[in-house]
Amino acid sequence: MLQLRSVTKRFGSLVALDDVSLDIARGEFFGLLGPNGAGKSTLMSLVAGLRLPDAGALTLDGAVLTTHDPAARVALGLVPQSIALYDDLSAEQNLRIFGELYGLRGATLRTRIGEALAAVQLADRRRNPVRTFSGGMQRRLTLAASLLHRPKLLLCDEPTVGVDPQSRNAIFEYLGQLNRDGLTILYSTHYMEEAARLCSRIGIIDHGKILALGTLDELLTRLPFAEEITFAATPATTAFSEQLTALGDIAGANGAHRFRPRAGFRLSEFYALAERHGLPPRVFTQQRPTLEAVFLHLTGRNLRE
Amino acid sequence: MRIILTLVKKDLAVFLRNRSALVLTFVVPIALIYIFGWVFGLNSKDVGPRGIVLAVVNESDNPAAQELVDALKAEKSFHILTKFVSPDKSERPLAEADLRPLMHDNQFRFAVVIPRDLIPTNSIGLHLKILSNPLNEIETRTVNGLLQKTIFSNVPQLLGQSLQSRAKEILGSASLDRFNGRLADAISNAFGGDPEKIRQRIASGDFGFNPPDSSPAKPANPALRRLDSTATAPAASFAAPAPAAAEKKTVDDFFSSIVKIDTEQVIGKDVKAPEATRIVGGWAIMFLLFALSSGAAAFFDEQNTGIFQRLLAAPVRRSQLLWSRFLYGILLGVVQLSVMFFAGSLMYGIDVASHLGLLLVVCTAAAAACTAFGMFVAAFTPNEQAAGSLSTFLVLTMSATGGAWFPISFMPPFIQTIGKCTLVYWSMEGFAQVLWAGNTFLEILPTVGILLAIAAGVMLISVWRLNRRNIFG
Repeated sequence: MLQLRSVTKRFGSLVALDDVSLDIARGEFFGLLGPNGAGKSTLMSLVAGLRLPDAGALTLDGAVLTTHDPAARVALGLVPQSIALYDDLSAEQNLRIFGELYGLRGATLRTRIGEALAAVQLADRRRNPVRTFSGGMQRRLTLAASLLHRPKLLLCDEPTVGVDPQSRNAIFEYLGQLNRDGLTILYSTHYMEEAARLCSRIGIIDHGKILALGTLDELLTRLPFAEEITFAATPATTAFSEQLTALGDIAGANGAHRFRPRAGFRLSEFYALAERHGLPPRVFTQQRPTLEAVFLHLTGRNLRE
Repeated sequence: MRIILTLVKKDLAVFLRNRSALVLTFVVPIALIYIFGWVFGLNSKDVGPRGIVLAVVNESDNPAAQELVDALKAEKSFHILTKFVSPDKSERPLAEADLRPLMHDNQFRFAVVIPRDLIPTNSIGLHLKILSNPLNEIETRTVNGLLQKTIFSNVPQLLGQSLQSRAKEILGSASLDRFNGRLADAISNAFGGDPEKIRQRIASGDFGFNPPDSSPAKPANPALRRLDSTATAPAASFAAPAPAAAEKKTVDDFFSSIVKIDTEQVIGKDVKAPEATRIVGGWAIMFLLFALSSGAAAFFDEQNTGIFQRLLAAPVRRSQLLWSRFLYGILLGVVQLSVMFFAGSLMYGIDVASHLGLLLVVCTAAAAACTAFGMFVAAFTPNEQAAGSLSTFLVLTMSATGGAWFPISFMPPFIQTIGKCTLVYWSMEGFAQVLWAGNTFLEILPTVGILLAIAAGVMLISVWRLNRRNIFG
């Protein structure tokens, strides 16, 4: 559905996107995961037709996306990073403006506004000015405004920044439902848990380059370890943790040790060593590695650095 | 104390980093002080208007009439026009018949006619005509004052001629010569001086009772000045050497009673509420500029809140965004100006209804120019604060130099030239043409064309600049 071919975008000497190629299929929930300044918003703005690439091409269902051809943008819906609503106007007035920009009129527009407000649970606030809404409500209305014209591809540029947990959950559920109903979604975030929870496929981006691409499981297989074991950093575990360096990587933070075993590691060896140090199995927490581990492994730094 | 000083330093640092605040604090007041300084005579001892075009038609063959023309030419406030330039560039002296059409064509607003019967032979006194288009009250009063001053400075000379002329008619030349000779002898005996010279001056009508130094513009011919200031001064002057203010007033009143000035208001005489009609346009256009320049702030607001991004992600072109804003500005402007004029109509009786169609045409052109100005401010400033400062500066400066507050003739010529390049000046011209002069559509077309040209030019520059700056993010 959406294709990016060798797309490069520069801002002066800064290369915001560096030879990026990407395919997003119809019905996918694609997550673009990267820290601030990685190039996520630039990629979104190119897809949305807000900017032109310096090199390469973007196509949506075969049609080239440019800043000059507004017609292609009818198939897109953008949920921008900022609220981007007229806060003196009511929820309904905002939706009416954005609906009319997409050519919706009359009864169709009224019906769509009603549906959208109901879907984001703002039907009872339709006549209230947006400035009286909480941040989460404004986010939900922003999402509703981008869906009125029923786009084929929804671009969500970090849509949950500054949103309370309840509204965030509501947004996740609504987006999940939309995706199950067939809407293709391109979702950029620097929250791993969002990408892990929502996205069927994830691209990890940093310094304008796509570093890894795949489903969560595929990305995790890129790690040289299949699991992580954490345990409290106490005097009783100090000597044990020192001996673990022979079996894998060990790091300490926030009063805990995190052990990532090397390839070929056998769990029985770990517990045998623990037993020799008088440490029972209940001391240890065994878990699958996270996207953060993948990101750390690929970039050498944490997502929020 | 150290904490307070640190906080003061912080405030100073923030202030010095804010160029908008610096401009508003220092540049805007200085610019306005300079402009007002010219109006109220702070910048020069030579207070008063400059370059007011005054047409003078001299139909009299009396040499003293030419002296009056010269005196008017010497008056710095006036730019005297005595020639009529035909379309083929040929020139001839202006005639009275030329004046009214030229005044309707707004070539000038004041004219003096010195008629053939400047000094009537059948009565004592003088006869002059003043034609005016009192579009601006302050300017009109000033011009009338200057005209009276210049004319009355020359009245004694002309009045003397009038007396001699009338005496010649009644007594005959021989008797009058004898009378003048005896009068000269008596003066010479009493006060000294050459009796023949005194006789010649009496015969030429020079009785030496010019109001002392009442005019900065003395006639070029020394013979028309006060009589010999050395030996003959006390002898020849009938008036006191330095009359007190009360005496001068008496002299002026005397002149006023014997100088017959026919005044004619050529344009605007049927205007129902002249004062209100004169001022409402200036204030209306100034506040429209303020309203539309706040549109520049809305530009930055939409940029900062990401609304531009959302709009452009919809099937909307950048050009549509700009032109929609332009159209909105025009609509707002037309409505605001119309409301102002209707309010003027209700409160002061300005005749809006009779000129509604043409007034809307001028309002539309003025609103287009003002909207383009708002876009210009948005295009050339980096943020909302800077836009606020620049627009405040430009609106106040354009209002002052464009004549919204006071006549631009009170400012030096170079500021008058700048003023005539402002949309405020041309908007006010347009309003005056419709409401004051009652011009037709064809007559207002050049003014409307200039306003639209300003709008188009400023808009093109603004769009070019906005595209270069990528204001849409």
